[in-house]
Amino acid sequence: MKKAVSMMLAAAMAVAMIPAIPAQAADVSITIFNSKMEIQSQMEEMAAEYSAEKGVDVEVYYSSDTVAAHMSTRYASNEPYTISMVDAKDIYSLGPDHAVDLADQDWVKETTQAITVGDAVYGFPVCVEARGIIYNKTAIEDTLGEEFNPEDYKTNEAFAGLLDALKENGMDAPVGVMKEDWSLAGHFIAEVYETRDDVDGFVASLHDGSSDLINDERFNTMLDTFDLLKENNYAADAPVAAVREDTELYLAEGEVAFMFGGNWDWSVLAEYDPEAEMGMMPIPQDDDAYNTKMVGGGSKYFFIDNSDNTTDEQREAAKDFLNWLVFEDGGQEFLVDTCALVPAFSNIELEVTDPLGKSVKAYADADALIGNYNYLPDDHYAKVGANMQEYLKGDIDRETLAADIEAYWQATAPVEH
Amino acid sequence: MDKNKMSYKVSQFLMFGGISTVLFLGVVILPFIYGLYLTFTSWDGVSRSKPLVGFANYLAAFKDIDFWAAMGRTIIYSAIAVILINIVAFLLAYLVTSGVKGQNFFRAGFFVPNLIGGIVLGYVWQFVFSRALPAVGIPKLLGTTESGAMFAMILVSVWQFAGYMMLIYVAGFMSVSKALMEAAQIDGCTPSQSTWYVTVPLMRASFVQCLFLSITRCFMVYDVNLSLTKGEPAGKSVMAAMHVYNQAFTYKNYGTGQAEALILFLVCAIVGVTQVYIGKKGEVEA
Repeated sequence: MKKAVSMMLAAAMAVAMIPAIPAQAADVSITIFNSKMEIQSQMEEMAAEYSAEKGVDVEVYYSSDTVAAHMSTRYASNEPYTISMVDAKDIYSLGPDHAVDLADQDWVKETTQAITVGDAVYGFPVCVEARGIIYNKTAIEDTLGEEFNPEDYKTNEAFAGLLDALKENGMDAPVGVMKEDWSLAGHFIAEVYETRDDVDGFVASLHDGSSDLINDERFNTMLDTFDLLKENNYAADAPVAAVREDTELYLAEGEVAFMFGGNWDWSVLAEYDPEAEMGMMPIPQDDDAYNTKMVGGGSKYFFIDNSDNTTDEQREAAKDFLNWLVFEDGGQEFLVDTCALVPAFSNIELEVTDPLGKSVKAYADADALIGNYNYLPDDHYAKVGANMQEYLKGDIDRETLAADIEAYWQATAPVEH
Repeated sequence: MDKNKMSYKVSQFLMFGGISTVLFLGVVILPFIYGLYLTFTSWDGVSRSKPLVGFANYLAAFKDIDFWAAMGRTIIYSAIAVILINIVAFLLAYLVTSGVKGQNFFRAGFFVPNLIGGIVLGYVWQFVFSRALPAVGIPKLLGTTESGAMFAMILVSVWQFAGYMMLIYVAGFMSVSKALMEAAQIDGCTPSQSTWYVTVPLMRASFVQCLFLSITRCFMVYDVNLSLTKGEPAGKSVMAAMHVYNQAFTYKNYGTGQAEALILFLVCAIVGVTQVYIGKKGEVEA
């Protein structure tokens, strides 16, 4: 009897194993490097489905290392991924050496965000991200007892009035400020360079020392708004000790109403299941040319490896995968619904699900996005970020900050592009 | 068989030391030489070309104010941490060899912090400094002042390494023969005198070892630095190793970073070897 049972068990197990063998043996297998931590599990599920559907074996990898550092170790060991997701600046540094030219692909016509170096298209934009002030509409309305319409608060004065009204009505400190250097320098100060007509010319003047930052209108306008955020910061007594997760939690729960950030912050805010209505608005400032627009554009780019470690079949499969993302229902749903990204392609008409992404999409559709400046030197966020932290703490004044930023640029070699 | 023949000597050496020699060459010497080569290039870490630039990277390293600031910070940190680590470790070792109740339990307990990886340990203490202590009214140390961050780093390092160094001191205490202690006491030494004049001089080897280990570890500190302070506030707690990593990988000046790493290695080696040389010179045999 025992023997019969064990035989049956063994037979059942053998049968159970059959579906595990792929229905069609995959001829080609490709690897994808994902550098967006928040979508790793979605990527893995998608890879399994895609493999089953298309007969191309897809494997997804993630590393918490700096993207550029991770790429350099993979290339140093001759083990590149077929498709790698990197930041815009990495496409400029890696593309000419390591990427396949994708200019002949159909999706190029559907986007304004692809990265072109010379005549070659190297970067496939994964999503659109933009920066602005994130607001908690419900918290503001509950505190003030009246409807909040972000378009009414375009100027510094209007925004200051709103903050004062919030304080009078019991919200002690209505703002959260992230102390992370990528936020302070890479995102906030970067807007001083980005929001002007001749960005390259201005950066060149910073390099050669002919700029006059302390008397620069854009610098002062942006810093006026920053001062407002700084004064109303809930962590004003120890701003550089503020923890990002705390700040986002307070925002989600409505203890603070505003935070400078971007639509990527939704992945953190969503962790706290905010019931509040949230959204993003441009940075309020006394400059009508820029207080109705957000700064942003393509973020995270795929490139396909061109080395001998990747076969032509793999490259074809990789191109098919990118086309699937843009042109097939499964791919579009994956980007927009599963990963909650704002797609960079005009042919994708699915509605964006997350509230911050919705705001960004609205501004993008209205052509109110100012492009990112993708050529900041690699040490910009660390060094200018340190200066900004000192300013945030109140250790230095605006003159010193301007002088420090100018000193940084003058000591740094221009990034060729 | 002629035991003086070269071939015999070589084959004997290969039999006993061959594998480790090959491994040592492969994972230490060759990468070191390759790293040395990279200090003469302007490689960015990813591109295919590695143009030779002569001594430009060393020049850049000497001109890099941030690097020397980080180095100065590292030296101050190491000096204070090394002294504290060894004082605490010695006192702990004295305690757990003096025959207190449950001394084996204490030995294990003091050693545990060393078993927790530096990264985890940094996060644990970050929680303590930025949440637990402020909750009972102690002001935040991290992210406020330079000295606060430094103090936190030193405290965590002492907590981490003292248990490990304690083990070496314990071995030192145990190696001193009981007969000598008895002889000293018969000659009229008080217990504290016999410890100070007999045991401690005979433990000199332990001191040399512990100092060497703690100096090198403090100079090369990276993991605790990364997870505890991340260089904040405003880059004022970046230690030398972290600056080297940033320079090479984040700022993409691989050659300069490598050159700075070499300078850090030399400083650390000179301090460490000098310390061992001086320490060994005065060693006494029982």
